[in-house]
Amino acid sequence: MNAKVEELDPIILERGGTRLTRSQVEAFGREIDALREEIMNDLGEADARYIRRLVKTQKGMELAGRGLLFLGVLPPAWLAGTALLSVSKILENMEIGHNVMHAQWDWLNDPALDSSTYDWDNTCPAEQWKHSHNYMHHTFTNVVGKDRDVGYGIMRLSDEQRWNPLYLFQPAYNWVLAALFQWGVAFHDLEYEKLLKGEKSWAEYRVQRRKIMKKVRKQVLKDYLLFPALAGPFFPFVFAGNLSANLARNLWAYLIIFCGHFTEHAEMFTEEEIVGETRGQWYLRQLLGSSNLEGGPLFHIMSGNLSHQIEHHLFPDMPSNRYRQAAPRVRAIAERYGLHYNTGRLSRQFGTVLKRIHRLALPGRRRANSAPV
Amino acid sequence: MHLETRFDTAGWMRRLGKALATPFDPEDYLALFDARHSAREIRARVHRVRREGDRAVTLELAPNRLWRPHKAGQHVMLGVDIGGVRHQRCFSLSSAPSDPRPAITVKRHGPGGVSDHLVNHCREGDLVTLSPATGDFVLPEAAPERILFLTAGSGVTPVHSIVKSLLASNYEGQLVWAHFERGYHQWLLGESLRGLALDDRLDFRLVLTGDTPRDGDQAGRLNEHWLTEQVPDAAGRTLFTCGPEGFLDTVIDWHRRHGLAPLFHERFQSAPASGGDGGRVRFARSGGDVQAEGAQSLLEAAEAAGLRPKHGCRMGICHTCKCRVTRGRVRDLQSGARRELADQEIRICVHGADGDVELDL
Repeated sequence: MNAKVEELDPIILERGGTRLTRSQVEAFGREIDALREEIMNDLGEADARYIRRLVKTQKGMELAGRGLLFLGVLPPAWLAGTALLSVSKILENMEIGHNVMHAQWDWLNDPALDSSTYDWDNTCPAEQWKHSHNYMHHTFTNVVGKDRDVGYGIMRLSDEQRWNPLYLFQPAYNWVLAALFQWGVAFHDLEYEKLLKGEKSWAEYRVQRRKIMKKVRKQVLKDYLLFPALAGPFFPFVFAGNLSANLARNLWAYLIIFCGHFTEHAEMFTEEEIVGETRGQWYLRQLLGSSNLEGGPLFHIMSGNLSHQIEHHLFPDMPSNRYRQAAPRVRAIAERYGLHYNTGRLSRQFGTVLKRIHRLALPGRRRANSAPV
Repeated sequence: MHLETRFDTAGWMRRLGKALATPFDPEDYLALFDARHSAREIRARVHRVRREGDRAVTLELAPNRLWRPHKAGQHVMLGVDIGGVRHQRCFSLSSAPSDPRPAITVKRHGPGGVSDHLVNHCREGDLVTLSPATGDFVLPEAAPERILFLTAGSGVTPVHSIVKSLLASNYEGQLVWAHFERGYHQWLLGESLRGLALDDRLDFRLVLTGDTPRDGDQAGRLNEHWLTEQVPDAAGRTLFTCGPEGFLDTVIDWHRRHGLAPLFHERFQSAPASGGDGGRVRFARSGGDVQAEGAQSLLEAAEAAGLRPKHGCRMGICHTCKCRVTRGRVRDLQSGARRELADQEIRICVHGADGDVELDL
């Protein structure tokens, strides 16, 4: 390419052996846009039936699970009740709550599934989550310093984060975060580190804290006091069942979410890189910063279709049941542009997440070029 | 001093139910057993579908406990899922408040849309949603002694409710009601009206504008001549009128020149003037307005007008900027699709004005 052409159409992406010019990135963006348009125009009754049936199934499982836990003195009833409640909490948080609050179902015009009014069965208040997740995380995906999901303010998951000795313990407290994931999600919105740096006022902090505590009180009252108390002498069984279900939901959500952005080949970005970013470049960052999980239909539903993390990041407000249809098309487009489509089985992807957590606990960077060729 | 010590059992049960269902409502779980249950909206089952000629139906509705009886003459926004998507339209209630169930009467306006769906596809047992009944087309506290009702076409529905409820009460006045209709096939609520007309307190006339009248009915068209000839004391009667645009204009014009008693009229929503690219954006809460370019987002227009609406990504993905359009036409800046909105939320960062728009800002 001669200098003059390069000036008109400069290379704006150079990662892992792939070089794309400005016009190529924009063409890539247009193809992704067209795919989005095609699927969004096809939404209809079958999609509506899917989400409504799912809500009914989830609520039914929750009632059955809580009912069985009242008989929790019998071990099979306790196990079945806990399992049903765990699955129902996972479905509600992931395939229903997360996606409804992304406005994926706003087009139904149904107030029960509307992003502006929905609140989920989780200690994190919907309003705050929509800000930190829908706006901060989805707009600034994997941009170190902007996207607080990169380490949630306590972990070092990118080379770009400066090391400090506390990170030596992250392989251990990683598991604490996993077990308490809903609490991590709720309180990471408080942005303690910004408070310490003086970027956030105490007044603002107190207002947020009050809102979180209000939701926390209601959630704790329900799962750890009222339902157990209704069981009378069987209080401990219901308490333990609810605790286990919340724990199971926390671990599962942690697993899926960490596999979405912190696998070996998921790329990180700097604030300088996104200045003046076009829609095409934004799509590119979503693709390179996310990673998918392979599995069967049930696995996808249980993951809230976040197993299609790439498609979710390209199309955050597309109904999640359509990601499966978009995935092979996105992959084909990516491959045509020589871009890596990061996907693998859960065990393999999570293995690389653990590797990253352990490696970055130590000072220094990972291998200079971690992207596959 | 007497202390009120009665324990509010029902209130505490409600609070306990809410605490157990948090962050949802017990109603959300009861909806598993009967889909009418809802904590936020009036949902109703279609109890009976009565055909009205070949192009209309009366739907008797069985609403949930959030429904409050309407005043005769009021209307509701009825929502129904078509292709999975909730569509809403305004309908007058044709039933009297004393009827066992609220009912609406719907005439099909054309292919597609809510009226077509209700007339051709609505079955008993279907679920619809209702807004609370609203509207000022209602009788004053003390019903006037002499009333004249002038209706045409679908305008018959709210007046049917008013007249039926008056006749069911111990009303001692004298009613005249002239209803103008093209032909018998189009006439809504005919059977019920023939029944009401047997009451001595009601002088009902059916006036056909495009059909041969049968016994007792007449042919004609509403104009000044018709009124002075057929209802000599029309000027002194309180006037209630409802019907198509042209019909209403005639009545209102006549009343302005001759009327001596109050006039009540109900105008069914008409199609707004179509707009090109861009348009006038009005801000309902803050009061101002601004002219928006076709390519400009409503968010940018609001900012240009000095407002600071809440927003996030400015590219349509995060939905932080969602704002209610009270009324108006918008264009999706990404797909180019144009939409007519009333009381719906949109992302103002990726929608522009397409004619006049009013935002809840």
